[in-house]
This record gives sequence, C-alpha cells and structure tokens, in this order.
Amino acid sequence: MSDKTTSASGKKPSVGGEMIIPAAGILFTLYYFSTILDSPWTAQVNAFFVGSILIALSLLLIGLRVRAVMRREAVVSFTELAKPAALVPKRLALLALAIGYIFIIQWAGFTLTTFLFLACAMTVLSSGRRLGLNVLLAAVFALSGWMLFVVAFGTRFPAGPFEALMAQVM
Amino acid sequence: MDADWTLIGNLFLRDLGYWWLIIPSILLGYIVGAIPGFSAANTIIILLPITFAMKPEMALVFMVALYCSSRMGAGIPAILVNIPGTAGAAATPLDGYPMVQQGRGNQALAISFTSSVIGGLITTVVALAIMPWLGEVTQIMHSVEMIVVMLFGISLIATIASKDPLKGLIAGFFGLMLGAIGADVVYSTPRGTFGLLELYDGVPLIPALVGLFAVSEAFLMIEGESILTRRGMELMKEAGWRETWEGVTITLQRWWHVVWTSIIGLIIGVVPGAGAGIAAFVAYQQSKTYSKTPEKYGTGHPEGLIAPESANNGVTSGTLVPMLVIGVPGGATAAIMMVVMQYHGVILGPALFIRNPEYAFAPFVTSLVTYMLMLLTVLPLARYMSKVTVVSTVYMAPVVIAFTLVGSFVPRDYLFDMGLALIFGVIGYVARKTGYHTAAILIGVLLGPLLENYFLRALRISEGDITVLFSSTVGNVLWVLLVISVATPYLIDWRRRAQAAA
Repeated sequence: MSDKTTSASGKKPSVGGEMIIPAAGILFTLYYFSTILDSPWTAQVNAFFVGSILIALSLLLIGLRVRAVMRREAVVSFTELAKPAALVPKRLALLALAIGYIFIIQWAGFTLTTFLFLACAMTVLSSGRRLGLNVLLAAVFALSGWMLFVVAFGTRFPAGPFEALMAQVM
Repeated sequence: MDADWTLIGNLFLRDLGYWWLIIPSILLGYIVGAIPGFSAANTIIILLPITFAMKPEMALVFMVALYCSSRMGAGIPAILVNIPGTAGAAATPLDGYPMVQQGRGNQALAISFTSSVIGGLITTVVALAIMPWLGEVTQIMHSVEMIVVMLFGISLIATIASKDPLKGLIAGFFGLMLGAIGADVVYSTPRGTFGLLELYDGVPLIPALVGLFAVSEAFLMIEGESILTRRGMELMKEAGWRETWEGVTITLQRWWHVVWTSIIGLIIGVVPGAGAGIAAFVAYQQSKTYSKTPEKYGTGHPEGLIAPESANNGVTSGTLVPMLVIGVPGGATAAIMMVVMQYHGVILGPALFIRNPEYAFAPFVTSLVTYMLMLLTVLPLARYMSKVTVVSTVYMAPVVIAFTLVGSFVPRDYLFDMGLALIFGVIGYVARKTGYHTAAILIGVLLGPLLENYFLRALRISEGDITVLFSSTVGNVLWVLLVISVATPYLIDWRRRAQAAA
C-alpha cells in the first residue's frame, strides 16, 4: 500500500504515532554518540554532523506536535498505527508467526518451517476458512522454494528433517 | 582501442547464433533478479563450474546475458508488489507500484521492459563507440567528484519530502544514521553496533531493502482483499495486449527521456563501486527536477518509472567499461566475470584491445543481442505477470514475508539478517503508517556509508583540508550542476506562483 499520512482521528488529528520515528532517531543517535566518544575524529565526523541534524529536525517536529496538543489542535494517540482496529489481532499473529519462522528455521529447516509458516499465516488471515486450500498452497510453495533455492541454486539454507530425508533419497 | 566495426559485425552474427544459450540465461536472469538476495553475481558463483567448462566466448555470452536480464528481472516485483529485487530497482516502485494499484500493472511492466531494453541498447552502442573516452571518466572521477554524485542521489530525499519536508528530511537523516552503523573505515572502530559482530560491516543492504519495502508492505496489504483499488481491479481484469502496447507507445513517445536517463546510468556505472542504486535515484531525481509535471511523480507517472529503469540498465553497460579498459571491475558481477575470463587465460585491461580484441568488444555485442532477445521474450509475458496483482492478500502476504525473509539470508548466510529484515519491516510499517517515506530511509542507508567513505578518503588525501571538496575542475562543475539541480524546482515553483499571482 502507498505511504499513509496521519489523518484526522475523530475531530482532531492524532499526533502520537508520527513522533515514534523522530523519538527512535534521537534515542539511536544518542546511543551512537556514546559509542564514538573516545574514537578518533575520522570515526566521529560523519556521525556528529548527520546525528546533530537528525536530533535538531526531530526535536523541531516533536516541538511542533507538542505545541499543537497544548493548543488543543491535536491529540496524543497511537490509533493510526493500529488502524483498522479489526485487523490488529491478525497483524500481531502474522508478526508472531514471522518471529517464530526465524527462530524455528534453524532446527526445522527451510522447507518444513516455510510450510508451517505459510499454512498458519494463510489460515490466520483467512479466519480459518479454506483450510485444505491453505495447506495445499503452503505445501506447493514450500516445495517449489526447496526445489528452486536448495536443489537448483544450492543455497545453504538451514537444513532440517525434510532436507536430510531428501538428501538420503536423492 | 577504437571500435573495429567489421569485428563487431562478426561478433554480432556469432552471438545471434548463441540464441539457444542466451534465451535460457535471460529466463534465469529474470528469476534471480526478481528474488531479493539473489543476484547475477551469486548465480554466476553458483554456476562457476559450468562457466569454467564452457568455451570462453560461451562463458562470456552466458554471464553477460544473465547480468543484463537480472537487472530487468529486479524491476518486476518492484512494480507488481513493491518489492525491489535489488538496490538498483529501489527507485522503481516509486511510480511503478502506484500504477499497479490503479490497475495499470500491465502497462507499467511494458514501460519498464521497453525503457530497460532501449536504455540498455543505447548505452551499449554508446559504450562501444566511445569506450576510450568513457575509460577516461574512470580516471577523472575521484573521491571529491564522487561526493558530489552521492549528494545528487541524497538530494532526492528533499525531492521525496516535498509533501512534508520535515518528515522527509527526518526519514532521510534517520536512514543516514542507520547507514553509519559499523566499523569506521580508517581505524575499524565499531560504531552503533549494539555489540553485534554481524553489524561490524555495516547494515547489510538486502535485509534493509526487504524489511523497508517487502515486509512492511505485507503487513499493510492485508488491509484489503487485493493490493489493487476497486477501480484498479476492474481495469486489471480487462487488461490485455492493448495495455501492453500502450506501455510500449508511452515509452517510445518519451524516447529522449530514456536516452538521457540511461546515459546518467552509463556514466555512473563507469565509476567503479558506484552501482545501480545510486544511478536509479540520481536519474529519478534529475527526471523530476526537469519535468514539466513534477507534481505527478510518486502517483504513477510513466516518466518516474522510465528514469530509474533506463538508468539501472545503463549501469550494466557502464560497469563493463572499466573492467575492459583498465582491468578494474565496476561492480560485483563484473568482478566475477573478470575471474572467469582470467581462468580462461583472457587478461582484461588495456592490452586486451591488442591481444584479444574479440573479447574486448564481445561483452557489449552480447549485451546488444541480449537486449534485443529480451524484448521479444519478456513483452508477451507482461499481461500474464501482471495478473499476480489480483491474487488475494490472504495468500500474497505470507508468501511475500517467507520468501523475502529467506532472500535476506542468502547474501551472507546469516540467520541474523532475517531478524534484521523483520526489524526493518517494523520500522517501515511505522514509517508508512505515520507518513514517513521508506524510500527516503533507504536512500540514507544505501548512500550514507558510501558518502562517508569518499568524504574520509578526500580528507585523508588532503590531510584534513576541507577545501579539497572544491579543488578539482570536474568537481566544481558538478557542484554547480548540483546547486542548479536542487534550486531549479524551487525556482520553477516560485515563478509559477508569481505568474499565478500576476
């Protein structure tokens, strides 16, 4: 989807969400500065230049938004991030599955983990409907991925029981 | 080193005879280009035993065909699902993806294919004709000149930020800070790495690309049944050959745009280490700056798609020039080609034009033949490829996440990079939900480290004298062009307002 801008939430615009990136920028820059305080100037010059500008711009934006809130022209709220609210559980489930995918792949291997992730994610997103189709598609994609990446391109993806079995068979 | 046109004609006929090798290489190139993390360079490495077993001219034909087609392949997912296959295609979705959402996917692909092929053909012919002079570009583009070229690309942040300058600049500088993660180039002091060894070499580009574009896109696309708008869905269902032909016509009508943006790619590609990502962003920025309708950029404007696609294919020809003329590869794929050719006893460099002139001109002639065959093979596929956009997001989102996350694993074989892609995905999601442009963040991550490297190199050579930035004639000309380029949109806007007020 195209980039979304913070729009009016109710009657007043919500400004909480748009302060996350500047706040993260400031925190990261301060951490970055702390890692180069004792470094030679060659390691500092770029970061101090770029970081100072980032902090100044971020503070300016935060200041403008705080002023808008104090003037009651805007409200602090993070609802824009979660819109549409009905999708929040699905989105969080998809994120949890993606995190699980990264952790499990090192033990279960590429093919099996990809199959499990795809089957679960498709089932979650379709609200449990068309389970058979989801499992079938997950299997097709996982096996196609295995054939393309592992067999054809020889990519060194983590191997699991499926890859071990196929290595014996082939 | 002057072009021997009889030899070139013979090479052309010989390469046409290799159609049976070029067409499969083209199809392989589309696949590896389209998957983030895979690239022509990786694929040639995987297939090194085959290239060693081939005759040298066949190995060269295979590698060049794969190289050219992978560049075009990278643009396909960038347009259809907002996922650039490589950094060179990172500017492609800026206008390509909005076209898709409007149901003009078929047309967008045709524009991309036609501008890639024409851009590639033009730059190949230009490179063949003026190779000696292009070789000299490599000699005059030092760190100072490259700093200005980088700034051309970085100034795109301001261009992207035109709707909300403050947010655009914050996104760009945030990207520049993230791009500064890693050991410094002089003393290898770790900076901002959170103690993670995997970040000592800096933020790897593919996980950043995958996260900011693909993963965040997957989390957003589930808001609808399809990535298309309702009207877009209707148009896409009716789309056929007519839309493909429209795309070709639109590009041909803007032939001059293709020419000059592809030449930008050629010149930047000639500079070793510069790369297609820089060329695509610089071409996009220049295209918008001198457009009569800059306000249309980012909304699905054909010229915004033509510029990066022509430029990144121009880079393909450009990277071959220093490899052949001075024996210095212009990029990773060129470096691997060089290794293969050296294995076959072909030593690249100035003496090549005397000892083995057939190998000196062959890469460009093969590019020429490849681009011609590419147009014939890929254009008919546009209407079928574009149908992928009507697939339900229930299936598309999980597939995008799974295959791009594993794609981020490929370049370094680190599971860490998959996690990093997910973190960038969350950053991208928050950014897009709150009105920050992910392309501005990516420009920072991509160009920031390069700018720092060139800047420090210039300062070291001048022993810390900052005036070195204005010490070369070519550099000063580029500075003036940069100032003109940045100021032009504001001057045009100011004049329009003044005229409207009068």
